[in-house]
Amino acid sequence: MPPKVTPEKDEQEQSSFSRQTRKVADLFSIPPPIKKLFDRVPVVVYPPNQLPQRAPKSARIPSLYVFSTSHDAAAGKPSFNPSCLKWQTFLNIAGVDHRLISSNNHASPTGSLPFLLPAVHSSSSQESLLPVTSNKFVKYASDHGGRVDESPSMRYEAYQSLLDHRIRNAWLYTLYLEPLNFSAVAYPLYVFPNSSNPLVRASIAYQLRIAAEAELLKHTSIIDTDDLYSEADKAFEALSILLGDDSWFFGNDKPALFDASVFAYTQLLLDDSMGWKEKKLCRALRTRDNLVQHRERLLVRYYGG
Amino acid sequence: MLELHVWGPAFGLPSLDSHCLAAIAYLQQAVPRGKWQLIASSDPGLSPTNELPALRNGEIWIGGFRNIFHYIAQLSAGEWVLDAGLPEQEGADCIAFSSFVESHGQPLLDLSLYVSSQNYSAVTRPLYNTIQSFPLPYLTPPAIRAAAKQRTEHLGLSSLDIDAEDGKPSQEQSIIPDSLRRPKNTVSSLLAASPEASASIRLDALATDFLEPLQRLKGKKQFFVSDSQFSSLDCLALGYLSLMLIPELPQAWLSKTMRTKFPGLCTWTEGMRDTVFSKNVSLNDAFLTKLGESELDVRLRKLRGRGHLPWKAPENRTSAAAGSAFVSSMADSIPIVGQLRRNTRMRQHGGKTYDEGAQDSQWGYLYAVGGLIAGLGVLGGYLFRQGLISFPVHEEPEENSRGLESFGEAGEALSFLANQMDAHAEMERIAERNYSHGAPIAEVDIEVEKDGVRAVETVS
Repeated sequence: MPPKVTPEKDEQEQSSFSRQTRKVADLFSIPPPIKKLFDRVPVVVYPPNQLPQRAPKSARIPSLYVFSTSHDAAAGKPSFNPSCLKWQTFLNIAGVDHRLISSNNHASPTGSLPFLLPAVHSSSSQESLLPVTSNKFVKYASDHGGRVDESPSMRYEAYQSLLDHRIRNAWLYTLYLEPLNFSAVAYPLYVFPNSSNPLVRASIAYQLRIAAEAELLKHTSIIDTDDLYSEADKAFEALSILLGDDSWFFGNDKPALFDASVFAYTQLLLDDSMGWKEKKLCRALRTRDNLVQHRERLLVRYYGG
Repeated sequence: MLELHVWGPAFGLPSLDSHCLAAIAYLQQAVPRGKWQLIASSDPGLSPTNELPALRNGEIWIGGFRNIFHYIAQLSAGEWVLDAGLPEQEGADCIAFSSFVESHGQPLLDLSLYVSSQNYSAVTRPLYNTIQSFPLPYLTPPAIRAAAKQRTEHLGLSSLDIDAEDGKPSQEQSIIPDSLRRPKNTVSSLLAASPEASASIRLDALATDFLEPLQRLKGKKQFFVSDSQFSSLDCLALGYLSLMLIPELPQAWLSKTMRTKFPGLCTWTEGMRDTVFSKNVSLNDAFLTKLGESELDVRLRKLRGRGHLPWKAPENRTSAAAGSAFVSSMADSIPIVGQLRRNTRMRQHGGKTYDEGAQDSQWGYLYAVGGLIAGLGVLGGYLFRQGLISFPVHEEPEENSRGLESFGEAGEALSFLANQMDAHAEMERIAERNYSHGAPIAEVDIEVEKDGVRAVETVS
């Protein structure tokens, strides 16, 4: 019975090996008197240090971390990142009072902005101090007295996919992969504030472009510029038809999350201070008058013009 | 004559790719019969955008199904368009839901056909053997599967791919001996017999998220957006829905969800499939192989309406063409070179019409070849440095080597000894031979005594 013999032998070897190692461990173990001494440590416990001066102060109102400049953040101006702007606008619409803090992706628990740090109350538990990520904003807003009216429509998902795919892809291309726009718009906003070292800047710029390219190549085998722009144009056309003569999407009497999602792109494409150089996407949007007016309505109402 | 090049047939459908199915449906409905042909070439390298379907009109190649729709609309001066004359709202719905079908349907097909290990190895991968020539089925399905995994990464359902999870449980060793552990036959572990079962709730929710808006959009209408008009959205939806419903897979969660919750969509898909494609497309239909059928059989089949897609057999590709396709897909999978090739592809395509950019494409080709050579050089250098390959050292052919040289110095010493021993033995043998054949051996004993010498001679 040779197969049975080997494991036993193995065990024997193992146990002898472990005995050996125990011997070695005994050699290195702490002698009892010293151990007793160390068991008394710590003798004195000091109170915790103060947080450093630059650490975020616990605030009375929640803080929304977005891509922005510190100057714009203090003034509550729109963020220059579409997904940040979407949620910033949503919180404004829902009436959740918050302050903006200029930040970047490294600060976020999920690796992407925006996220919300809830306000500190005397009664708040440890749980309620955890940062809220953007996918829980709707729940957070309704928990904190925000008004969120969503009209369930079978078209909602479909038109949302226009924004999340067609327009987003064209946005990624026009911002990161059009060389003119990248140097004029994306570089000053996303690369410049991060470092003053030209090598670091070059590396960040390269990473941004590669990431945008990889994102676009996930769905097609090739980046077909004409297709991207014509699909975005059709998407704006469809959104324009959907809005029609109404003030807000889906015939609501108040703006809602979908309006915020549309505004996130229309605001940035129509904002002259962005300084677009290649304006193909902006032109496609400018021909749809009702979308332009929709953006102005939201801008006046929530950002004071 | 327009030629539509697609991925080959599978599951009784004319193609195994949703976009190809959409393009086939579009041409079938929009372009008059006799003006186009369908070719199951299964080679994305033909297309300028490196994807199928691709449309060929003489020297012009158009890649990608949306570009094909635009091109045939231009070609026919707006006559061969399915979406013409849709009311405004329906046109907007058509655009929006096309985007929805594409963005939400693709992850479902990816999960069902490619990411799920069982479905992939049992059904999808073997399919490529039937539609591609020899070396390509070793490269194409893994590449498509890698892309599918990348696309579905954000859904957190990678557990369907059990290849990636191999050996994970064995890693976490417990200090509790086996005999004292609780048996693990809990309800959830019984449910988790297959990764699809444990993820079934999420998969079901994903499928419902996709199918429910479609069901509601269709309502009681004959088609998705209009009651009377077959639109481009119907083509796209037919492509995706038929690939969800019709394949028979070992893990059939997708078709099961569809059949139980959305019977209306199932009826529509099956009905449209029979009228737009044909009832059951086989490989023989696509490659026009004759199964020893008589003329009568062929005519009967036509009468029954089978094979009414205008198939044309793909040209017999030379081994050189297959080889070049093989090399180019190999190059795509090498890290740096593949990236370079993709970049040049984007640049050569960006912002130009299809006829221009010949100069650019030549440069692109040069870059790719240069990159390939550089890459191979670097790879070779690396392997050489690591000692994985080495130049063959010139070895002198020694006929009488004893095999002990390979033991180094000790071997040499041993072989010297062995030589000596051999020589000794040889000498002895020779001597023996000489003795046995020569004079009889005589032993002479000489005894010296006081009174003289006495010799005793014995002869043996």
